[in-house]
Amino acid sequence: MSELTQKTYWKSLNELAQNKEYEKFVEREFPENATELSDGFSRKGFLRVMGASIALAGFAACRRPVQKILPYSKQPEDIVPGIPLFYASAMPFQGNLTGLVVENHEGRPTKVEGNDLHPASGGNTNAYHQASILEMYDPDRSKYPVRNGAKSSTADFHSFVADYFADTNKRVAFISEANSSPTYNGLKEEALNRFDNAEWVTYEPFGEDNSIEGNNIAFGRRVRTHYNFTNADIIVSLDDDFLAPTHPNNVEYAKQVTSRRKVTSQQDTMNRIYSVENGFTITGSYADHRMRVKASEMADFANALAATLSSRISGLNSFSSVNNKFTGSEFITVLADDLASNSGRSAVSLGFDYAPEVHAVVAAINSALDNYGTAINLLQVPHFDNQNNKTAFANLVSSISDGNFDAVVMIGANPALTAPADLNFTQALSGADEVFHLSTYNDETAKTASWHVARSHYLEAWGDGYSFGGARAVIQPQIQPLHDSLSEIEFLGAITNAGKVSGYDMVRETFSSFYSRNFENRWLDILHDGIDVTNGFSTVNRSARNVSPAPSTAINEIEVVIKPDNSVYDGRFANLGWLQELPDPITKITWDNVALLSPATAESLGIGTEDYLGKAKQPVLNIAVNGTPIKLAAWVQPGHADDSITVHTGYGREGIGRVADVSSESSQLFDPETTSGGVNVYPIRTSSSMLFAQAGVSVTGEKYSIACVQDHHSLEGRDMYRQATLAKYKEKADYASFESIHKYAVPGMKEAAELGEDQPISLFNEQTAVEGEPQWGMAIDLNACFGCGVCIIACQSENNIPVIGKREVERGRELHWIRNDRYYMGDKENPQAVHQPVPCMHCELAPCEQVCPVAATTHSDDGMNQMTYNRCIGTRYCANNCPFKVRRFNFFNYPKEYLTSGEDPDIIQMAMNPEVTVRFRGVMEKCTYCVQRVNREKISAKIETGSPKPADGTVQTACQQACPADAIYFGDLTDENSEVTKMKRNERNYLMLEELNVRPRTSYIAKLTNPNPALVKETNEEYAH
Amino acid sequence: MAQIFPKWTNQVPRLILVGLIVTVNVVILGVWYFFSPEYTDVGYAPEQPVPYSHQIHVDKLGLDCQYCHTSVWDSKQANIPPTQTCMNCHNQIKTDSEKLAPIRESWETGKAVEWVRVHNLADYAYFNHAAHVNVGVGCESCHGRIDKMEVVYQAEPLSMSWCLDCHREPEKYLRPVEEVTTMGYEVEDQLTIGAELVRKNNVSPPQYCQGCHY
Amino acid sequence: MSKYEYIPEPALVKGNHDFASITKLVTDVNLRPTPRNWYLAMLPANALLGLLLVSIGYLIWEGTGVWGLNNPVGWGWAIINFVWWVGIGHAGTLISAILFLFRQDWRTAINRFAEAMTIFAVMCAGVFPAIHVGRIWVIYWVFPVPNQMAMWPNFNSPLLWDVFAVSTYFTVSLLFWYVGLVPDLATLRDKATDKIRKVAYGLFALGWTGSSRAWWNYEKAYMILAGLATPLVLSVHTIVSFDFAVSMIPGWHTTIFPPYFVAGAIFSGFAMVLTLMIVARKIYGMKDIMTDDHMEKMNIIIMVTGSMVGFAYMMEFFIAWYSGVEYEKAIFMLRATGPYAWAYWIMMFCNVISPQVFWFKKLRRSVGFTFFISIVVNIGMWFERFVITVTSLSTDYLPSSWDYYSPTAWDVLTYVGTFGLFFTMFLLFLRFLPMIAIAEVKLVMPQGDPHNYDDETQEYHPHVEEVPQPKAVKA
Repeated sequence: MSELTQKTYWKSLNELAQNKEYEKFVEREFPENATELSDGFSRKGFLRVMGASIALAGFAACRRPVQKILPYSKQPEDIVPGIPLFYASAMPFQGNLTGLVVENHEGRPTKVEGNDLHPASGGNTNAYHQASILEMYDPDRSKYPVRNGAKSSTADFHSFVADYFADTNKRVAFISEANSSPTYNGLKEEALNRFDNAEWVTYEPFGEDNSIEGNNIAFGRRVRTHYNFTNADIIVSLDDDFLAPTHPNNVEYAKQVTSRRKVTSQQDTMNRIYSVENGFTITGSYADHRMRVKASEMADFANALAATLSSRISGLNSFSSVNNKFTGSEFITVLADDLASNSGRSAVSLGFDYAPEVHAVVAAINSALDNYGTAINLLQVPHFDNQNNKTAFANLVSSISDGNFDAVVMIGANPALTAPADLNFTQALSGADEVFHLSTYNDETAKTASWHVARSHYLEAWGDGYSFGGARAVIQPQIQPLHDSLSEIEFLGAITNAGKVSGYDMVRETFSSFYSRNFENRWLDILHDGIDVTNGFSTVNRSARNVSPAPSTAINEIEVVIKPDNSVYDGRFANLGWLQELPDPITKITWDNVALLSPATAESLGIGTEDYLGKAKQPVLNIAVNGTPIKLAAWVQPGHADDSITVHTGYGREGIGRVADVSSESSQLFDPETTSGGVNVYPIRTSSSMLFAQAGVSVTGEKYSIACVQDHHSLEGRDMYRQATLAKYKEKADYASFESIHKYAVPGMKEAAELGEDQPISLFNEQTAVEGEPQWGMAIDLNACFGCGVCIIACQSENNIPVIGKREVERGRELHWIRNDRYYMGDKENPQAVHQPVPCMHCELAPCEQVCPVAATTHSDDGMNQMTYNRCIGTRYCANNCPFKVRRFNFFNYPKEYLTSGEDPDIIQMAMNPEVTVRFRGVMEKCTYCVQRVNREKISAKIETGSPKPADGTVQTACQQACPADAIYFGDLTDENSEVTKMKRNERNYLMLEELNVRPRTSYIAKLTNPNPALVKETNEEYAH
Repeated sequence: MAQIFPKWTNQVPRLILVGLIVTVNVVILGVWYFFSPEYTDVGYAPEQPVPYSHQIHVDKLGLDCQYCHTSVWDSKQANIPPTQTCMNCHNQIKTDSEKLAPIRESWETGKAVEWVRVHNLADYAYFNHAAHVNVGVGCESCHGRIDKMEVVYQAEPLSMSWCLDCHREPEKYLRPVEEVTTMGYEVEDQLTIGAELVRKNNVSPPQYCQGCHY
Repeated sequence: MSKYEYIPEPALVKGNHDFASITKLVTDVNLRPTPRNWYLAMLPANALLGLLLVSIGYLIWEGTGVWGLNNPVGWGWAIINFVWWVGIGHAGTLISAILFLFRQDWRTAINRFAEAMTIFAVMCAGVFPAIHVGRIWVIYWVFPVPNQMAMWPNFNSPLLWDVFAVSTYFTVSLLFWYVGLVPDLATLRDKATDKIRKVAYGLFALGWTGSSRAWWNYEKAYMILAGLATPLVLSVHTIVSFDFAVSMIPGWHTTIFPPYFVAGAIFSGFAMVLTLMIVARKIYGMKDIMTDDHMEKMNIIIMVTGSMVGFAYMMEFFIAWYSGVEYEKAIFMLRATGPYAWAYWIMMFCNVISPQVFWFKKLRRSVGFTFFISIVVNIGMWFERFVITVTSLSTDYLPSSWDYYSPTAWDVLTYVGTFGLFFTMFLLFLRFLPMIAIAEVKLVMPQGDPHNYDDETQEYHPHVEEVPQPKAVKA
């Protein structure tokens, strides 16, 4: 007992923190939340003892555990213990910054939110941003530099590079991941000047290189294509999943696209989205029209589109001769008409990884439609290398292996895993005598390096950079580095200036160079706002030269398409449990990658597609690309292009950490039998097949079990999800009401009318709104939601929801408080996929409350369905009786597994939100409408105004705040003018399972689609996958 | 036929019955009294690293609570003062007192003084000082006559039912906000004044679970 | 010759028995030294009991997760077994109380036996609600005990009703059983030769003298308890059924549940009594007292209740369709055709089809066959609980949440373990307590009828039936 409680948190942190910096920091900033956490400890400890022996319980309760309070010695000015502080920062991804605001509790960052001043964020985030907080606290992160496999220190590293790079004739190869930091690129110039025989390549496994090269062909300039979908009435995505977090600018794009689909009255208009793709992407599921086209035929499709347009608009004559399977198809003709009639107000986009020539064609189309300057901008990006990085990288690697370089310096990238297989990158490195590598994890590349240096997380170190659209911002650290690590600029600085320079000084210096006068104040503003200038890049006005049709790459047999994964991307997020357990937006699979293929293709391979509930195992496919085989479980994906198989990267990593590893130690969370980091598909990704390749596919006898959180994919004709076309809406505004769907009134309504009540009659006591209290409610706009799943991660981060591991998910025990249901509707081969986020409905007549024997779940005065963990005895009756099945049960002591496994559990505990209880084994939990935020605002409102009703918008739930589509509205229903009340007044507003008369406080705004009348086919009969 | 049992055994059933009733009641009352925070927690007065006397500082020297516990009006926590605060005076007064050694040490090393927590609310209960003092719940109401305490001890049970006593009938305990830190505050017509304050500050203490548990 | 032929009621006690022989027959079982076979039976029973304790221990140590439960399906085998055992626990009190009030003399042969079974079955049932909760160490919160949290249980919750219903039922059954035992315990006390038995039985005989005053009190007490027990027989399973009926899950939310659960309970209860009786009477040679006539009567009850249950099944389907509620309709279609169809059809066969064979007298009276059917019926009733509990949860309102439930080894072991508890108790009962209500049986024997005793001759004349001679009928 006392051993558990007296172990105060910062002491044990001390044990792990070697470096002086850190010790000082710990003492200065941490003590106060020693109370918080030792508290957390005592709770868990206390309960564990009780769990161990019932007999003991009574007495254990009598003697209180002794707790220490550790006040500051010298209290920092701005910190008031118990009040969180918010600082601006920004997260780099593929070198593009997204502005963030970070919540700190007594100097401990616990949550990231979007920065609404920053254009790339607009106040929202995506799953990667949300999960980055976990990355910093990841106990498996690289903690110190490693010299030839032996533990070393940054000090040693500095002294080493000081004399190693003293000789400026060293032949140095720099391999850097994309980085937009002006400071960093300044250092890059320095490096190239300093070392005469140096070469620099920017390497990103899924970068925008091809689109840049495409623009180079079309415009003769290496420029970036930046869309402004707000000005686009017609959006055509050629397999460009710009709504997915894998796109470096998805938050801004999501805001733009959804802003044009916010319909509040019958007069409003919507944009129209066409999607042409082989797999089912998020963008595809949000599109009004979706066409299935093999990736290898995308070039043909683009040519055909250009050809069809050439007869309608000028500037595409070079395509008039094109004739392939797509020319003259209904879809393409209609599409061409639509585009031609909307020239200047449309945008055609193409997935990054398609060949430069295809990008050129698309550029030509957009140029001919003169969308540039309105819906699309060409940006002059200063830090682009003036070379084709893909080819440059290949050449560099071969010349490294030829021994033309003494030293290879890699900053951030992990080529040993991600480089095209045919380059044999790892062997190539043996050509150099020193290999320096900076990375967050001790990863595949780090293991080959002679000097691995731990990389500081962006929340730990100073930095700067530009957003995708050119907004310049500073990356402000929230906390001293937890480990003995360096940031990119510190690392590169050490090599170039051969001396230790603080990141802060470098960044400050860079920014001071932007300002001639009164920089001081400006600097403070920049740090405070988290944004410097929004237009850091100049736009280029050019029209495309005469582009010739892209060479056809069509593959007649089965093609395999390699895409970055929605959860773990290229593998860099593979060790983040939150993302591993985040269900894929379309397949709803967790913890694994699979081979996606269409029902027809599955049929032809002899794989059953019958619908089942339960844990049936998946057949394993053998996919061989010119000789190299990989084995991957098959997954039938309705809407997938035939004769095409999509696989995702980033899985199947080894030796990274407990979460990512294919083989892990046995525990609740990581069970050797079922835990799997999936399969590594990079072996079949070669220079010639970066996106797709012809594949030999055979069914092996093996089976493999997949943890999927949704077993049934059809609505069974039920009315949980309601939608109509914009046209239908205009003629019948309340198309989504219960009556217009069922043709009869809500049961109990007639009787209520007789009694003069406006709610259906009920057996139970009506919940009466308490005078003076706010009444909380939520509305979810299904027309905005595109199913990315950031709400799930935001909720997980805010509410201390543990990761439970693949085995438990497989057993159907997912713990997420908000889930995102995905249903397939319509045609079996090419269905529509719809998304529906489902949190707790906070019913006014909650069925769960009636049945709890110990009154652990009850109703609050402000109209919330409360879950009182410490009263719960875990009969699970409430969960059974919940028609929406949103209640979650702690079948095991998940928090213990999650928070105390690994060598230094205290680190991961720092990621916990001190405002939220860590739930113990055997208790029920569920969405609380973020009651901790609600109560915080209610109390401050009470103190300031005397009324417990916060102003509208001051309380935001975590899911609402994160959502880039602003699909979630939350607020006080007693306030006539609150956003949520307005939405609930909208005629599209409907209640799920309204006939049960449980009166949910969470309602839905029915979906609208905007199909092209020329393509509308009535295909709304149900279909079960 | 020989008797198996002596005559007195005829009484046994009655005795058992009576005995049962007695023991059951004793057990229930025992648990009721001895297992309650009232018994287990009240009076808990651990030894502190520094024998700081509230009696001297508050009663004799007349320091206000807020001189040290500064964040009580704004934060959920009424902070234990930083060493700084002690040094404000003690770099002049009693600069060489043995008892103050830990304070001086903390001041020099920057290491925190490890005070032992006295008022420890039950697990899973969230308490917010600001919310209470701003509507006129006196320090005294929960912490007792601190000004009379040589060593700080827990004066109230801090049990859920104890909290509810006030949340159900605030008028019995509320005082004008200016009087919050007053020790030994007394008025004869508390109920009327209290009711007045409840109206004035629009006090509606939550009696639903998630007012405190979330 | 006569048109009428009088067939007297078959004697309840076969064979040429007098009071002494009956007493001997029954008490010898308890008084003679323990037979080896008893130990042989006790061994596996204890092993299973141990298994139960182990699986409970592991469950409490690891957490509810060791069972196969998942998100839609929060109740699995634990609740199924609970309902099943409680159901079995119905026969005893029904036989002893209700049949007693209806003056069904034949009950005397089996009531002691059935009551014992009832009590042990309820014990087994009681295990599950206790261990199925997530935090068993705070389970006392379901009792209205004053506490420093000023918290009371939620009296709206059917689970809470269960707590009271089942405990009341158990207490009353136990008392009823014990009161019935007193005279027989006295008999044992008097027949016992060794000190220990004398004292042991003597203690519980409460100084029974057999005086007419004692008998008078006894009869009254017995009658009152019978009166108390009767409504409980109906109330317990009614309230258990409320656990489902009061909730709002399709397939649970049904008004037919109370009668249908009670019928099912009697159905399974009688089956279990038969299973045990057939074995016991063979081993202990009680064929003369527990006769085939008894067996036949019980078989008829099984047939009737079985048909009632079958009717209930069809009613559910009809109402589901008639109500027009799509979720209600869907769940019943899914039961018959969905992922759990296999369970549904097992249930249908065992509970509805199999008892119908008892229309045939021949089969009603065939011991082996009855034994077989009695087992089948109990399996069927277990599957009924399974179908009700699991299917409704696994496929309810939102298709997105549908999931398949399958038990883990620990689910199974815990269930099997409860048989250990049951049989251990039952063997102890057979060994140390009279398995037949001696005094009551004597009452229903011809000798028990004072009119057959000739005071003068101090002799006993067997009763001769006066067969009325009908008048000849003119052609």
